Amino acid sequence: MGRKILGLTVCVALLVSLVGGVVVAQAKEVTLTVVGDAGHNLRPFEWYQDDFFKKFGVKLKVIGVPFAETYEKMKIEFVTHTGAYDIVVVFPKFMGDFAGNGYLVDLDEYAKKLDPKMDDVTPGYGKLYCKYGGKLYAVPFDGDVLSLYYRKDLFNNETEKAAFKAGYGYDLKPPATWKEYLEVAKFFTRKKGEKLGGEVLNRDFYGTAFYGQRDWAWAWWGNRFGSLGGVYFDEKTMEPAINSKAGVDALNDMIAIKEFCPPDVLAFGYEELKDAFLNGQTSMVIQWPCVGKKGADPEQSKIVGKVGVAGVPGGMVKGKLYRRAMMPCGRVLAVTKDSKYPWEAYQVIQYLTTVTSLDDVSTAETGLDPYRYSHFAHPEAYEMFADVESAKIYLAGVEANMEVGYPELTIPGAAQYDDVLGLEITKALAGEKSAEVALNAAAKEWTEITKRFGLKEQRKLYQALVKGWREAGLWK
Amino acid sequence: MGSEKSRIRSLRIRRLTPLFFILPCILILLAVSIFPLLYSLWLSFNSWELAMGLPKRFIGLGNYIRLFQDVRFWLSMKNMGKVLLFGVGSQFLIGFTLALLLNREFRSRTLVATLFLLPTMIAPVVIGCTWRQIYHYSYGPLNYFLQATRLSGGINWLADIKLALPSIIISDTWEWTPFMMVVLLAGLQSIPVDLQEVAAIDGASRWQIFWHITLPFLKPIIIVVILIRAMDAFKLFDLVVLLTRGGPGSSSETVAYYNYLSAFKHFSMGYAAAMSYIQLVVIIIIANFFLRFLRE
Repeated sequence: MGRKILGLTVCVALLVSLVGGVVVAQAKEVTLTVVGDAGHNLRPFEWYQDDFFKKFGVKLKVIGVPFAETYEKMKIEFVTHTGAYDIVVVFPKFMGDFAGNGYLVDLDEYAKKLDPKMDDVTPGYGKLYCKYGGKLYAVPFDGDVLSLYYRKDLFNNETEKAAFKAGYGYDLKPPATWKEYLEVAKFFTRKKGEKLGGEVLNRDFYGTAFYGQRDWAWAWWGNRFGSLGGVYFDEKTMEPAINSKAGVDALNDMIAIKEFCPPDVLAFGYEELKDAFLNGQTSMVIQWPCVGKKGADPEQSKIVGKVGVAGVPGGMVKGKLYRRAMMPCGRVLAVTKDSKYPWEAYQVIQYLTTVTSLDDVSTAETGLDPYRYSHFAHPEAYEMFADVESAKIYLAGVEANMEVGYPELTIPGAAQYDDVLGLEITKALAGEKSAEVALNAAAKEWTEITKRFGLKEQRKLYQALVKGWREAGLWK
Repeated sequence: MGSEKSRIRSLRIRRLTPLFFILPCILILLAVSIFPLLYSLWLSFNSWELAMGLPKRFIGLGNYIRLFQDVRFWLSMKNMGKVLLFGVGSQFLIGFTLALLLNREFRSRTLVATLFLLPTMIAPVVIGCTWRQIYHYSYGPLNYFLQATRLSGGINWLADIKLALPSIIISDTWEWTPFMMVVLLAGLQSIPVDLQEVAAIDGASRWQIFWHITLPFLKPIIIVVILIRAMDAFKLFDLVVLLTRGGPGSSSETVAYYNYLSAFKHFSMGYAAAMSYIQLVVIIIIANFFLRFLRE
């Protein structure tokens, strides 16, 4: 009997220690789920897994979703409170919706304990893209602003320079105005068999290209629209102003440039647009800063050493050249309200935005772009460039465009406004409607959206947004 | 008395026992089918703008009125009509032709029929990604072939408003023609051979046999298979997402895709629910139309 009791006691003790051990082990290991648009921009989350585990005791599960579907994939989880995600890689235009609807954690208290060094962040990203209602809801991860990239070998080619001067009466250079942009694009559009830069082309060559898919086509229109003095809404009445003369002229300009783009440009998304330039199919492209650094990487570019960067062309407003460069997309890191480990999640995002950020934005293996003053102050970190001087030129070009950045709409409902605008712009580009008819239709739908969401509320939010833009120096 | 009560009880238990067996199934059906159906019907009479975090608000027929005034919705229905007419129509014609060709004995017939079935066995996402590569203007094999044979300098399959929807229809036809073929082949093989032989002996031509014997026998199967494909085609979504995202403009936007955008991009849940019900009504009308032929 005694032996039985002893045996039973030993078994129970073993069982308890086993279960207890498992529980303790599980309690120590935290797994955070990260979601963002799939591809190169999620790589840092994989690269520093060991660091996250050693420093914060967390493992990361990284989920990539299609670029055009990030909003709905996140929104569904937020609305249904599944708690599926701990860290979200958000496009700033969704901040109004996500922060405004209480899906994200207010990071102000965490920031006091662990400084995300927001003073080092350029105003557009720091003040606008990470804050809502005066509170910090995100930290920056990717600073996007459109820049003009061009083939400096072709622009410096003496034969091409002479031919351009003879045809257009001024020197060939990166275009300063949209009129020049059209002329340069027309000049460089050549058929297979013609000569370009002294060589016979074995395929058609085009002056330029743009993002033609309807999810972001509006941003390429926005460069022109902003530079012609366009605004999204009338601040006082909340009447849409996208169908103003500035809007119609901007769209007509885009329609005109389409003739000098690859025929399938309306199917171009990020990859197609980047590849069209880096594969040597176009002489210019307006795109995100990552194209500049990927252009210097021989594994991703056929035009290494031939990429120049310049300011996005401008329009003439009251006789003066007025440049604006859209700041579409961008990425910020936020912690979800439904996360069970908000502090651990904040530690991870703080690490990425401070400790590793220079490495992440200076490599060609990501599409992440500079957003801190310190990113611009260390050109030597951008090792894909042949020399530091080339890196400096690239960074100076990006910074110059950032100074004239034209912010995108970030009030709640931005996804709907953008969807309608993108749809109508692509209809006009496809020849379904004229620019004026398309933008009038978009403006009408914008009015309906505003009515559905509540005119007073939307006006209040828009006015607050414009105030923030002015304070950041982005609203002239 | 006691035995009478226990007899009644055991009778009751015996009657209820089958119900207990099917009860889990009924509960699941209620939860995943009936409840969502009724809930979404109720939702269609409400405004629920989740993008703004606004609460539900009863608006009666407001969503339906908005829908009838929505040009984009009617354009997507028009696109759907083209898919049904040209897509399902081609699938039927090609599928029927293949079924007639395969409805005879020849060497390797089974292998040939199996190979024809392959497209239907491939995952739709894989088909979409593959056709996106095939249609690529600069690097796709289709344009390469057209340029190599000098048939064309290159066709803008996915970025031309006149060709985007036909390109989707072609991919859909490639995917679903085998389904038509296999159903119609089964139908052909169920037709009594002696009837056709007797007709041939009596001097009927091949065409007369086909028109007066084969087709009438096949009519119910034809109606059912077209109806199934039509209802399926109404849900066309995966190819739209993978090939064109409804563009350029809205030239290839189907009603299923627009419905998805309304619900999961715009988060106008009431409006999306109303749209679903309009689609349901249209499908019921189409189904009734076909079923009437079936009854006749």
